[in-house]
Amino acid sequence: MPKKPSLLTFLDISALILIPVALVLIVFFTPVEAVMGSVQKVFYFHVSAAWAGMLSFILGAVAGAGYLTSRRISWDWLSAAAIEVGLVFAVIAILSGMIWARPIWNTWWVWDPRLTTTTIMALIYLAYFILRAGLTTPEARARLGGVYAILAVMTVPLTFFSIRLFRTIHPVVIATGGDGSAFNMTPRMLTALFVSLFVFSILLAALVWHRFRLAQWQNDLPQEVQ
Amino acid sequence: MKPIRCYLGVIWQILRKDIQVEWRGRQGLPVMLVFALMIVFLFNFALQLSPDLQASLTAGLLWVSLAFASTLGINRSISLERETNALDGLLLAPVDRSAIFFGKTLGNFCFTSLVGLVLLPIFSLFYQQNLLRLALILVMLLGLGAYTSLGTLLSALSIQTRTRDVLLPVLLYPLALPILIAAVEASRGVLSGRALGEMSSWMYLLLAGVILFNAAGLIFYETILEE
Repeated sequence: MPKKPSLLTFLDISALILIPVALVLIVFFTPVEAVMGSVQKVFYFHVSAAWAGMLSFILGAVAGAGYLTSRRISWDWLSAAAIEVGLVFAVIAILSGMIWARPIWNTWWVWDPRLTTTTIMALIYLAYFILRAGLTTPEARARLGGVYAILAVMTVPLTFFSIRLFRTIHPVVIATGGDGSAFNMTPRMLTALFVSLFVFSILLAALVWHRFRLAQWQNDLPQEVQ
Repeated sequence: MKPIRCYLGVIWQILRKDIQVEWRGRQGLPVMLVFALMIVFLFNFALQLSPDLQASLTAGLLWVSLAFASTLGINRSISLERETNALDGLLLAPVDRSAIFFGKTLGNFCFTSLVGLVLLPIFSLFYQQNLLRLALILVMLLGLGAYTSLGTLLSALSIQTRTRDVLLPVLLYPLALPILIAAVEASRGVLSGRALGEMSSWMYLLLAGVILFNAAGLIFYETILEE
């Protein structure tokens, strides 16, 4: 069993310290949103979780491509680890969005394109694990998993394009307007958002790394118990 | 020039083989067609469609039945190869495997398009709306082109799992969602009497799907089937 790298320990401790810091910022530092009230504060972790999810799905596809070109199994451990952690973050984004939607839209769930497609994205990656579970050899899991991870990421831009065409009631906070003010937020909100994004990125890196090491250990086990 | 002709020749041989198998067995197309029809009736009972509701749902119903029926056809196309070990024969052939992909895709595309063309007059009859329009046929062909190429690609994945063909819908439907959204929206636009030019973004999305999934087949089919 390889020794835990000190950088990973550093990431663990950073995440442990920074998450409470981000929470304190969100609760005490940011202003209460004028219309929505304090429920708006779920926004910071909601966006961060969605960001972390996207990031790790892309990482999963890149690692999948890494396996297909180099045929080194460790790329597949990374790919599967990233997608597994990404799926958790995607579910967090969906659930936190629902918590926000209950008071604001007056319902837990709307068939809004962005909610629907985010959930579909989660389903796509759920199918990834069903696919892997159905394959018998680690080589096939790595090869077909890699292809599927790339295919899945390829359809994400298509999905997002189809949302843009649909009317959506999901708030567009980061607009691509031409007036220079791309963010529809106060400076304090922006600070809290960026801190949350940073913290979630660190948490993501730590979790993916841990999951990667788990795959490594599983690989070291004798075949019968794998 | 010769390699290209050889490549196209392989595609044509695969397509011809699939058509011949279908012509002699006549097992794929009728099943797809009857299945699509049953879905139409099932929806009618399940959703308790009133006449004015029907008009707005026609495009959606058409694509749901097409998507389900295509999945059946695509699954059959690959499991036939697997059952008879014909796939091993195909893989042994000294040809580029992406040519096999294009041949299988073309076969699936032909069969599903045929089912779609038969469904259009039937839908026109049941939903009192003229669906036999050139614009709608164009949308249908584009949508099915994208859908069948993705389906053919994924069927090569699913056939290698323990669950075999059961897995295909689970893999295909979420990935094909943007295609289905675009196809339904474009069809709905055509049916509500809008010009095809107004739906150009949806059409481009479908075209992007055709190009993207065929490119994916070109790149990945070899990797998927390597053993």
